Amino acid sequence: MRFWLPLLLVAGTLLLAPLFRNSQPPLQSHSLALLLCGTTALSVYLFAVIAQPEKF
Amino acid sequence: MPTSTRVLFPRMPRGPRQERRYLERPRQQGLVRRAVLEAFRKLDPRQAVGNPVMFVVWCGTALCLALTLEPRLLDAQAGAEERSFNALISLTLLATLLFANFAEALAEGRGKAQADALRRTQARTQARRQLADGSIELVDSSDLRRGDLVLVQGGDVIPADGEVIAGVASVDESAITGESAPVLKEAGSDVAGSVTGGTRILSDQLTLRITADPGKGFIDRMIALVEGAERSKTPNEIALTVLLAVLTQVFLIAVATLSPVAGFLQKAPSVVTLVALLVALIPTTIGGLLSAIGIAGMDRVAQFNVIATSGRAVEACGDVNTLVLDKTGTITLGNRLAEEFLPVGGHNVAELAEVALGASCFDQTPEGRSIVRLAEKLGAALPFAAADASGIDFSARTRMSGSDTPDGSEFRKGAVDAIKGFVRSRGGPVPDQLDQCFEQVSRLGGTPLAVCRSAEVFGVIYLKDIIKPGIRERFDQLRRMGIRTVMLTGDNPITAGVIAREAGVDDFIAEATPEDKIAVIQQEQKLGKLVAMTGDGSNDAPALAQANVGVAMNSGTQTAKEAANMVDLDSDPTKLIDIVTIGKQLLITRGALTTFSIANDIAKYFAILPALFAGVGLEALNVMRLASPQSAILSAMVFNALIIPALVPLALKGVKFRPLSAEQLLRRNLLVYGAGGVVAPFVGIKLIDLAIGALRLI
Repeated sequence: MRFWLPLLLVAGTLLLAPLFRNSQPPLQSHSLALLLCGTTALSVYLFAVIAQPEKF
Repeated sequence: MPTSTRVLFPRMPRGPRQERRYLERPRQQGLVRRAVLEAFRKLDPRQAVGNPVMFVVWCGTALCLALTLEPRLLDAQAGAEERSFNALISLTLLATLLFANFAEALAEGRGKAQADALRRTQARTQARRQLADGSIELVDSSDLRRGDLVLVQGGDVIPADGEVIAGVASVDESAITGESAPVLKEAGSDVAGSVTGGTRILSDQLTLRITADPGKGFIDRMIALVEGAERSKTPNEIALTVLLAVLTQVFLIAVATLSPVAGFLQKAPSVVTLVALLVALIPTTIGGLLSAIGIAGMDRVAQFNVIATSGRAVEACGDVNTLVLDKTGTITLGNRLAEEFLPVGGHNVAELAEVALGASCFDQTPEGRSIVRLAEKLGAALPFAAADASGIDFSARTRMSGSDTPDGSEFRKGAVDAIKGFVRSRGGPVPDQLDQCFEQVSRLGGTPLAVCRSAEVFGVIYLKDIIKPGIRERFDQLRRMGIRTVMLTGDNPITAGVIAREAGVDDFIAEATPEDKIAVIQQEQKLGKLVAMTGDGSNDAPALAQANVGVAMNSGTQTAKEAANMVDLDSDPTKLIDIVTIGKQLLITRGALTTFSIANDIAKYFAILPALFAGVGLEALNVMRLASPQSAILSAMVFNALIIPALVPLALKGVKFRPLSAEQLLRRNLLVYGAGGVVAPFVGIKLIDLAIGALRLI
């Protein structure tokens, strides 16, 4: 997970960044994409806690 | 090495408050300093990820810090003036994390201090291992294995847990129990036949069979438990973690989707404001204090000199419905005293006293010694030479004890039924008067012990039972909490009934055998009840294992201690009632702080939402009349952070226990912590807002 999580975040950021390209410069579009990926990852983590609370 | 004050688990201080504070101050200061350092170490995300609520705060803090360093990271239009506001929010969020970590570290620190003290008793020692050919070799205590035979002598530290297979010796167990009085250990005794590694043998010598491999002894297990190494989440904690994670998830989705909605209103809030809203809405108070409450519950049990094998056991105490209690030592004072001799069958008091003395001369129990004292007081002399006679020990099966003399006389004292059977088996008559004496003593709540010599009954000894002061009030409290008490006694039904009535227990089982204990527990469990009980002998082990909460006495056998999920180091069976109270207190504290935490959200909502949508017609929601949107957000965040350390004492000490039913407790919790949780933040946030304005922070 320690290896895959950063990789997924980077891949997600690169994939989503073009969505914000129209309204934001490159730095902000990448940051917003990273924020979106991070929020999704956080949400997945919370689902994991709900599903297997004894592991946390 | 342990010092002269080798009390690892000091009893709850009962002295004047000032004296207690004076004594505890140095320890507290050390704990606080360590807890502060630990709070920073716990910022490590690998540790933070274990607490879902606080991990969301951790992520929000990281995001806000990034936006403090570069305010235009997410919005090219953002101005540099936002940097100071972002910095204030970041610092407040960081403080929230540190306060929550501090609460947990403080609770853990108290356990670690106990573990350190225990570890000092584990100094490696040399042990005399006995080889198969009978020779002795000196080995390091860490080289001893289960099954090894070891010889220990006066002055030695016992190298590992073991059972006594030969010898009699007095052992200083103060390193574990804090009790300075030496304890007699002897081979063949069910209760006094086990020793604990780390204790010191004071005199004589013992041959031990080691019962635990290195690292798996009693003290090792205690260290692991008090340090929290083996602390896994309890069922209630898991359920609450799921509830908190669900609430956090809901608020995360709500806040994440708020941005596009707000954008539709041409009022897109800043990301820092959204993070603040999220942190204000998720239950950070209980999220930050949850583990501290659990650890503190274990610690409170340890302060009572009780070691719980898991948090689950402490928590189960809070749900107990039935207490199965032994009469002697729990409900009545352990030492019953001989009060009167009642002769029957034409014998007089002097004859009865002489036979009673003969039947009790080998009896070293307090009851036996009191019979000897009373007989001697009445002028009786031992009718045989003690050196020529042999003692007959009491057993649960025969229910009598006594002595046999070389001339074939059998002196016996015991339960009336048992003596009747004994006399009849020897062809003797049983006078009717015996039953009258039996009833007379039983109706007084005393224990009648019949006395005979071979086939001749001499009379009855009236053993007076003294009910412990205040026990009736304790049982009344338990009844109000919905806990049923069942007394088990070897006494006859009439005596048991009188004592049960006087003590105020709900039910009793007379003439109980060890098997009855397990039967009562199973019967209660079939009705869906959680049962707690105490025990010390190997024959109690199945019942201790069967009970939901089994408390073994430290003076008990290794088997009993292994079967139980708690060990009372003071070997005081009355403590079961205190342990149940602590379990209830743990659950009540968790419930109270959860209620408070969720109720808190309302005021924070009224602080942040108008600030978030200032200028779009939501000003009416600003009921607290906060100075500015930024001040409102910062005030809510500061309150959110400060409420955690403010509640740390309550989390560690526990909500004051009141003997109320579950419904009454819920009503009271909702009133005090629900209504209090709604009102307190309104006042707190307004005061912080005024202070921010006065200090011109924004």
